[in-house]
Amino acid sequence: MNQAITGIGAVASIGRDVDELFENLCAGKTGHAPLRGFDRANFRARHAYEVDNRPAEGQDVPGRASALLLDAVAQAAKGAGLGEDLSGVPVLVGTGLRELRSLELWWRGEHQLTEKDLDFGPVLRERFGAVQAHTFSNACSASLYALAMGSDLLAQEDAPDAVIVAGVDVLTESMHGLLERVHPQAPDRVRPFDRNRTGVLMGDGAAAVVLRRDGFGEQVHGRLRGVAVNCDAYHATAPSPEGIAVAMREAHRMAQVTPADLDLVMLHGTGTLLNDEAEAVALAEVLGADRARPLMTAVKSMTGHTSGGSGLLNLVVGLRALAESRVPPTVGLDDPVDEAAGFRFVTGAPHNEEMTLMQLNAFGFGGINAVAIVEAGR
Amino acid sequence: MSQSSQIVISGVGVLVPGADTPTALAAGPAPGSEPVAPEQTVGKKGLRYKDRATQLAYAIAAKTLQDTGLLDADGLTVPAESVGVVASSNLGNLDTVTRALDTIHAETVSGTSPMDLPNASSNVIASSVAIRFGLRGPNLMVCNGATSGLDALHWAATMITAGRVDRVLVLGVEPDNDTVRRLFGDDRAVVDGGAAVVLERAEAAQQRSARARAVYRGYRQADDVRSCIERLRALDPGMEPARWQTPQTGSGPLPDDLLPGVPRDGFGPARASGALGVLQAVAATAWFADGGKGLVYAVAGADVAEPAAGVALLAPQGT
Repeated sequence: MNQAITGIGAVASIGRDVDELFENLCAGKTGHAPLRGFDRANFRARHAYEVDNRPAEGQDVPGRASALLLDAVAQAAKGAGLGEDLSGVPVLVGTGLRELRSLELWWRGEHQLTEKDLDFGPVLRERFGAVQAHTFSNACSASLYALAMGSDLLAQEDAPDAVIVAGVDVLTESMHGLLERVHPQAPDRVRPFDRNRTGVLMGDGAAAVVLRRDGFGEQVHGRLRGVAVNCDAYHATAPSPEGIAVAMREAHRMAQVTPADLDLVMLHGTGTLLNDEAEAVALAEVLGADRARPLMTAVKSMTGHTSGGSGLLNLVVGLRALAESRVPPTVGLDDPVDEAAGFRFVTGAPHNEEMTLMQLNAFGFGGINAVAIVEAGR
Repeated sequence: MSQSSQIVISGVGVLVPGADTPTALAAGPAPGSEPVAPEQTVGKKGLRYKDRATQLAYAIAAKTLQDTGLLDADGLTVPAESVGVVASSNLGNLDTVTRALDTIHAETVSGTSPMDLPNASSNVIASSVAIRFGLRGPNLMVCNGATSGLDALHWAATMITAGRVDRVLVLGVEPDNDTVRRLFGDDRAVVDGGAAVVLERAEAAQQRSARARAVYRGYRQADDVRSCIERLRALDPGMEPARWQTPQTGSGPLPDDLLPGVPRDGFGPARASGALGVLQAVAATAWFADGGKGLVYAVAGADVAEPAAGVALLAPQGT
C-alpha cells in the first residue's frame, strides 16, 4: 500500500494550526490549565487541556467539537488544493464522544438540540457541501480506525480520488468525571509512562488529513503504508497487551516492514495506570531486540488526551517530525516504568535526527486497537 | 461480480416488540406489543451494568450468530479474529451520559458509578458485543444519523473486500428511554430493539456450509432519496427492483413518482433511526426466503430532500 497524504490540519489547546502546534510541542509548552467550561466544584480533577475559545470562563457553548473539526478539515483541504467544495470527497470522522457535550448542555436546558446535531454530517454538508460524511464513534482509537476505513475505501475498484480522514473530541462532563472517578487519587496532569503518573486528563483537539490514491504533482506530507485494526475482546476498560501486539504485528505485515525499519513511534501514552504498561509490554515484545532503536514520544503530555482525535493528531505531529527531523519531547516523563525500560524516549528537549518511517498507536475502550505505519513524504 | 469477490448475508436476527423472526418483521410488527426482554435470550448474567442498547445488542447478536452457525454450545465455530463487528446506533448511550451528568450536578463526581465509564463512550455497543462473544476482528461503531444502518453494511462490506476480515456481524439497535423521547419532543416511541445480519465473503460462507440469505449487491449515497435511487439503478442497468424498503422520513408519505409500481415496505410506526438499515436488510431476506426474486432496494435518509444511502440486495443464487 502506498497512499499519499497531501494535506494536513490540526487544532488543539496549544495550537490553532499545525505550525503553531508543532512549535509549541517542541518548546515543551503544555495546554494544562484549570477547567474552563465546567463548574469545577463538582470534580476532584480540576485541570484539563482545553482549547481556550469560550466566550467567558465557566460558560460553555454547544457545537465546539463541530467547530474544531471544521477548522482542521478546512486546513487539510486547503493544503491539498481541494478548497472548500468537498461535494465529491468522502469525509470520515473518528470521534469518541460525537457532539455529546452539546447533548449535555441541552439536557441542562441551555440550548436546543435535535437528533441531527449528534453526528458531524450536517455541519460538514453545510460548510463544505460534503455529501458523503461518516461519523465513527470508536473511543480513543477512532481517528486511526477512520484512517483504516479511508484507506480501504481508496483501495476499492470504484474508489474516489481522495478521502478526508479526520478526528475530533472535546471534553464532556460525563467522561471527564467518570475518568477521574476510577482513579484512587484525582489525576493532576498527564505524565505518560512515568512511574509517578496519576492518570489521564482530557484535552480538546481535532486533526485531519487528505488521503489520495496517488500524490503525483502535489505536496506529499507522507505515505500511508498500512493500518491494522482489531479488538482484544478482553475487557471494557483494561487493555490487553496480547491484542495490542497482534495489531502491531499486523500493521508491520501490511506495511512490509520490520521493527528494525522503524525510526519513530508516536505512542498512545495516555498516562493512565493500566494503558501505558500494556502499550509498553506489547511494544517491547513486538520490537524485541530493536526496542531501543526508534525514537519514542507521547504528546498527550502536552495536549492532554484528545480521545478519538488523538491518533490523527499523532499522525499530523509525526509527519511534521519526519519532515523537520525533529521530535517533540514527552514532558513530565522523568522516571519510566519498568515495562518501558530501554525505550529511546525523547525527554527534556526536542531531538534532532533524520527519520523515514514511523509507527502510530491508538487504543480505545473495549480493546479496540489501531496501529498505522507511515513513511516520510520525501 | 465474480464468485470470489461476492459478499452475502449468511445470518439474520431480529428482536423488536412484536417481531422476533425475520418473517414476523417482514409481515409488520404488531402495534402495541410488549417490550422485548433481552434476558429471555441471553440470561441475566452480565446485563446488570450495561445500558439498554447494549443489552438489546447482546440478545440480537446471540440470535444472529446462532442462526448462521458461528456460535454453538461450545462457543465460536470459527477463529475469533475472522469475525468483525460493525454496530449502528445514534441514540445508544445517551441515557448513560445524561444520568451521569445529573449525578455529577447533584452529588459531585463522587456519586457516579465507575461501572459507567465504558458506557459513557458511544462505542460501548460494538465493543461489548465483541467481548461477550469473543469476536476479535475489526470493531467499528457507526453513529451516522438516519443512514447509519446502511452505512454500517457498507463499511462491513468494505472491510471484507479489503481483505481485513472474512465476516462481520452488522448490528443496528436503538433504545427507547426518557432521554431519547425528550430529544424527539414527543411520545412517539423509538424501536427499542433492532436487528443484525452476518455479512460474509461468499467463499468463506460456503466453506463452513452456511446458507446465503441474500447477495449484497452494493451501496450508494447521494444528496437526496431520488438521486440515491438513480445511483442504485446504475449498479444494474435495466433491472427494475422488485421491492423497495422505504426510508422513514419526517415529512409524511413519499412522492408517488419515486419507483412507481415497485411494492413498498416500511418498517413500522416506531422510529428506527440507526437500526433502520439493518432492519430493512433483514426484512429483505425474509422476502427472499418466501420465494421473492430480483433486486430489493433498502433506502434510508432523514427526509426526501436530505442525504440518503441505499443498499441493493439480490436473492441468493440457486433459489
